[in-house]
Amino acid sequence: MSTAALQPRRQDSKVGPGPSFLRILNSEFIKFRTLLSTLILVGSTVLVMVGFAALNAWGIGQFSEASNNDPEAAAAFAAQGADLTVGIPTSGIAFAQLIIGSLAVLLMSSEFTTGMARSTFAAVPKRTPAFIAKLLVVTVCAFVVTVVSSFLAYIVATPILDNYGFDIDLGSDHSRRLLLVSGLYVAAVAAIGMSLGTLLRNSAGGIMSLVGLFFVVPIAFQLIPGEFFEEARKYLPDNLFNRIVTAAPAEDALEVWQASMWLGVWVVVPVAAAMIVLKKRDV
Amino acid sequence: MIEATGLTKVYGDKTAVDGVSFTVQAGRVTGFLGPNGAGKSTTMRMIMGLDRPTSGSVTVNGVPFAQHAAPLREVGSLLDAKAVHTGRTAYNHLLAMAATHSIPRKRVQEVIEMTGLGEVAKKKVKGFSLGMGQRLGIAAALLGDPQTIILDEPVNGLDPEGVVWVRNLVKYLASEGRTVFLSSHLMSEMAMTADHLIVIGRGRIIADAPISEIISGKGQSRARVRTDQPQQLMRLLAADGVSVEVQDHELLEVTGLPAREIARTALDHQIMVYELTPLQASLEEAYMELTKDEVEYHSLITTGAAAPTQTGGQ
Repeated sequence: MSTAALQPRRQDSKVGPGPSFLRILNSEFIKFRTLLSTLILVGSTVLVMVGFAALNAWGIGQFSEASNNDPEAAAAFAAQGADLTVGIPTSGIAFAQLIIGSLAVLLMSSEFTTGMARSTFAAVPKRTPAFIAKLLVVTVCAFVVTVVSSFLAYIVATPILDNYGFDIDLGSDHSRRLLLVSGLYVAAVAAIGMSLGTLLRNSAGGIMSLVGLFFVVPIAFQLIPGEFFEEARKYLPDNLFNRIVTAAPAEDALEVWQASMWLGVWVVVPVAAAMIVLKKRDV
Repeated sequence: MIEATGLTKVYGDKTAVDGVSFTVQAGRVTGFLGPNGAGKSTTMRMIMGLDRPTSGSVTVNGVPFAQHAAPLREVGSLLDAKAVHTGRTAYNHLLAMAATHSIPRKRVQEVIEMTGLGEVAKKKVKGFSLGMGQRLGIAAALLGDPQTIILDEPVNGLDPEGVVWVRNLVKYLASEGRTVFLSSHLMSEMAMTADHLIVIGRGRIIADAPISEIISGKGQSRARVRTDQPQQLMRLLAADGVSVEVQDHELLEVTGLPAREIARTALDHQIMVYELTPLQASLEEAYMELTKDEVEYHSLITTGAAAPTQTGGQ
């Protein structure tokens, strides 16, 4: 409550450092980790990933025991070979993507719903660097959380599988690709989520749109008959991801590079739209 | 120094700010006064580059705000008490803002102490009172030790001690040669704080003058007259630009005539006057006078009573 701590005005024109990109990145990282909601959602992601892996491992074990008495099932089982267990660490990804995606929506929409955006863009009036910094923090976090929780899932699933004489070969090409692509995919979902948060400026609307895109639309497209929907379904982000990681694609499936490219389009278009709108619209 | 030229903001079919031009000089406290909805906050947001002007421009120290190399060190602003994520602690909020400009933690601690937030700095902003939120906003504004300080309704929600503190703080900042621009809809607060006043109503500048000039200049001379022949005196005083209001059966309030003229008229016509008091216009009255046609939202009582003046004579 005193004014003594104010420095007398400097006479020189040098004002001091401004918002360089690294400083903005640091600021966005501070903002990211100082919210309880971030910690809760990251924690839930880890729990979901580990939980689903454990369930999945147990399920596969139970199924294999049951199939011991059924030669047909045993044969089908054996045909899958090592691929049987490879997907276990990332089996919770469908839910992890929604949680991390929602986190990404919230991190941006809450800037607007709380008014924080006014502080953020008073400090970084050019806006775009702040958006890119936040995008980087959110996507890197999404990647790291996915990969780390897959590892944790692997650690938890291994002893369960061991009971039934299975193991997971984490070093195999398929395993490594699955891990890497899953991390990148969740990062992509986070980027889409953050763009939705920027465009809609509304938490509920952003999360609903995200859930709609990743949960409702794929199911709806599956239910609606017609060639168009069958074809269009291939281009939904969810299915693009599955195409990239699958070892045995369907006959009319997209090439991996095509699927990757389309997934890239799914990220670039909303991100670009969000950046343009953020720059132009009043805060 | 803040310079606005032809600043205009249109929302749909509503013009919030209408071709506003003004200059806020360094070294004094400039008050930005106007009724609710007059365009104060919109103007301030345009200065900070948060709202894009429909036309016109505004610069701070000769440069648009967004073009400054170190914006927080150039201009500090409290635009809205709610410019904080309420899930974060006050300390972390300030720390995140400081990080963008490499402002050291020491300075964060300094502004926390300065604004009296020491005890609550590690608490979430969610639980803050309006006054605490204002203090946090002021702390954020001071973070970069800026040359220009913009405060939108800073005393809103503050306790009396806080009001005095803000008053002294802004005066001190101005005395150091900084540019201080502060908005309020409270005339009484402006009278105590500001050296210079820019009055806005319905998006237009109504007055831009030193505060003393606004009080004395705009308010016409008024006098309270007690006489036992009020009707007769009223008739005699009636002229262009003179209005007489009957306040009680022997009490008149005369606007637009100096007390000396009233006394002479009464003397010439042998009317006994037993009170003649020249009335000094308060800032509040000057303000009401200035904005009476510009008020965006008339209260029902004011519009309902067809009083000849908005001041209601009190």
